Amino acid sequence: MAETAVASQLTELWETPKTLCGWLGTVDHKELGIRYLVTAFLFLIVGGVESLLVRIQLTHSNMNFLSPEGYNQMYTMHGVTMIFWYAAPILSGFAIYLIPLMIGARDLAFPRLNAFTYWTFLFSGILLYISPFFHQAPHAGWFAYVPYTLTEYSPGVGMDYYALSLILLGISTTGAAINFVVTIFRFRAPGMAISRMPLFAYSTLTISCVIVFAMPALTAACIFLELDRHWGTHFFGIAGGGSTFLWQQLFWFFGHPWVYVIFLPATGMISLIIPAFSRRPVVGYAWIAISTILTGLVGFGVWLHHMFTVGMSDIAMSIFSAGSMTISVFTSIQVLAWLATIWKGRPVATTSMYYAVGSVVMLVIGGLSGVFTGIIPVDWQVHNTYYVVAHIHYVLVGSNVFPVFAGFYFWLPKMTGRMMSEKLGKLSFWVMFIGFNVGFFPMHIIGLMGMPRRIFTYPAGLGFDKWNMVITIGAFVLGVGILISIINLFVSLRSGKLAGPNPWNADGLEWLTDSPPPPYDFEHIPLVASRHPLWDDYDNLDDPDDDRVLDGGRLTTITTWLDAEPIGVATIPEDSLLPLVMSLTLLGFFLAYQFHALWIALALIILTFLAGCAWMWPHTEKEVL
Amino acid sequence: MSTLVESPPVQIPPPRTKLRTLPIDQTRGIQAVYALICTEATLFLCMFGAYYYLGNNKDRWAIETPPELVYPFVLLAILLSSSAVIHWGEKQVEKGRYGASRAALWFTVLLGLLFLALQGMEYASEWGRLTPDTDSYGSIFYTITTLHAAHVIAGLLLLAYVGFLPHYGFARRSPHMPYQVAARYWHFVDFVWVFIVGLLYVIPHFLVHGHVH
Ligand code: HEM
Repeated sequence: MAETAVASQLTELWETPKTLCGWLGTVDHKELGIRYLVTAFLFLIVGGVESLLVRIQLTHSNMNFLSPEGYNQMYTMHGVTMIFWYAAPILSGFAIYLIPLMIGARDLAFPRLNAFTYWTFLFSGILLYISPFFHQAPHAGWFAYVPYTLTEYSPGVGMDYYALSLILLGISTTGAAINFVVTIFRFRAPGMAISRMPLFAYSTLTISCVIVFAMPALTAACIFLELDRHWGTHFFGIAGGGSTFLWQQLFWFFGHPWVYVIFLPATGMISLIIPAFSRRPVVGYAWIAISTILTGLVGFGVWLHHMFTVGMSDIAMSIFSAGSMTISVFTSIQVLAWLATIWKGRPVATTSMYYAVGSVVMLVIGGLSGVFTGIIPVDWQVHNTYYVVAHIHYVLVGSNVFPVFAGFYFWLPKMTGRMMSEKLGKLSFWVMFIGFNVGFFPMHIIGLMGMPRRIFTYPAGLGFDKWNMVITIGAFVLGVGILISIINLFVSLRSGKLAGPNPWNADGLEWLTDSPPPPYDFEHIPLVASRHPLWDDYDNLDDPDDDRVLDGGRLTTITTWLDAEPIGVATIPEDSLLPLVMSLTLLGFFLAYQFHALWIALALIILTFLAGCAWMWPHTEKEVL
Repeated sequence: MSTLVESPPVQIPPPRTKLRTLPIDQTRGIQAVYALICTEATLFLCMFGAYYYLGNNKDRWAIETPPELVYPFVLLAILLSSSAVIHWGEKQVEKGRYGASRAALWFTVLLGLLFLALQGMEYASEWGRLTPDTDSYGSIFYTITTLHAAHVIAGLLLLAYVGFLPHYGFARRSPHMPYQVAARYWHFVDFVWVFIVGLLYVIPHFLVHGHVH
């Protein structure tokens, strides 16, 4: 597209200067989205390396590669990193980059909040990774059950870093969730009624609501843990009248909905990718949308199924078991809708499609082993064995890692402007797929044979050796597969062929604008006339008298929340360093607390508040309208 | 890429509203603060849940002597009247009477400070028989009330920030209406105290009397 007068005017308004300050202070959702993706991907690599070290230790019976304590720290850091700092943030990264583009807006509702949540996400990860330097990383598994995590049994600082970094991450996650909720409800382009919203927006909206109501339980649990550890309270210690199950209740009240936070946006991506490559609208749009929302809702009613072995009343167990079964109905609806879409369409075998279909396969296997573990007697049998490890990885890798790769192969051309190599991509897919199944399927078997999870070694002669060897090899193959895709990315960045606005001929609004999109996303705010804006023959950009350019400032449209009728324009704030300053002082607060410098902590929290004031301060009368 | 399997989907073009003439939207800030209130309310719900969870398997939930009732009700009166004052202040902002609304706001801050001072005195009077490390009842009692006090402080800071804003910043700064946002948050903080009084102070008195042993 030639640079028009309008476009250069908009660029003037929206562009971030290419200076250090510009880089640190940017509020552009595309820039921040990519940072989220890169940071979360780095956490995937870190967590992956940790898991490989775990696997090396388990290759043979009686290995001494890791000490028992080192092993505990390693698998804990692996689980925590993967669940909290990779799986959910990477999906936020996609959402931050894509949601405004998909709904025809120019940024998120609160761009500075977006910058703030990115920095706090990064700093919380850094906070977590300080502890290994004291050789005292968290070591109690990713769900950190008390009483093991109380000071009697875990005197080191590891569990403190666990609690503090999760509280900080909770602030970041909640901020991002609120941002998504308001954005998706208010910023959709005129005409994008709620019944025309892309399914990815549905799943992001659902999980954002889930986060708003689930995160506080984790925060409360972590606060109690910190208080018990250092301030002499008795929430969890039986002696003082506390209850160890309190931790489990709170943690799983948060934890199970969180599983859907990791899972739903990924299914949302698949619901966009499969139709695009089946060359037809998705089958059962309304069914998918509704089962997404119901999964989020019912997800709040199943947390006790993580605790079937603690002993509780039969009726409670039955209700929660039934709830867990209900959820699999909703997931099945989505899976069937995807299969029907492929069936009735004319599928194109691209890498992205490979990953999408591969993930469905693994999801089905993981879902089946999940139905088994949802049945109470089976759960009593396989609880804490490698069977559970197999189950969680089929679900997590099938419902998160593979869809994320599908998403990368689908949307990276939009982000970088260049195509990825299909050949390398498919190679990477097959290596990952085979590696994963070789590595994880045998875990079902050794789990049923009785190999416990979280045990740093096992004696010879139980018949575990052979399978463990296979598993370790599979894990490394999986790692190689991921590496191939990383190489593919760098090759594409250097010499990929130019993508153009819509390389896949897909239907969403994000494909309407250039690749990579200009700083202002859309020159004219698009109008939406159907569920598949780029497949209908309505001209979304038709705007003869330039009414929808909105170049009187950094502006975008505000619409009603159901019908998306335009009712106002929203101003978007400029770049600012203050979100960064604020999250730095917040990090400082947590660090000062950790080192027991309470006065400094107090000073830093006051500074955080002042930074917030400066961030919000109205600078000129001009802002009054 | 090959063509579509089906003919194009149904289209209903949206009405062509002129965007240029639309007003600037200022409701986003309020919506975000409602979402914030939702998570904070859930945080308190978790705390209340913990209170009952810790108490439900104890014979007498450590309440041989339930907490005093005078303080919490005085505190309740203070908070409720502060809510009324700030509500009046909001009305003044709408009418453009910024002087009056500023006065209302600072008066609310005063009431909030009074609340904190009285709560300090209440703690002092309870401290003799109950501290956070007495038992789990003491832990959860002090955690809930202190968490609430922290929210009072946060609310006061927000109000003070608005109090220092120049007049023009009061009602209108897209996307926020700072005065309304701070006031909403303050109402929420007051509202939580109603629950605390009910659950932590009043109900234990009934339980003590209802106990037949
Ligand atoms: C790179 C491939 C991966 C390998 C080789 C791998 C390997 C392992 C192994 C061997 C364990 C069990 C440790 C033990 O109980 O002794 C484990 C636990 C776990 N993994 Fe993975 N994993 C991988 C990827 C992932 C991903 C992508 C996620 C999440 C999105 C994940 C989440 C978890 C969790 C939550 C645990 C449980 C940790 C605990 O017991 O506290 N893993 N992993």
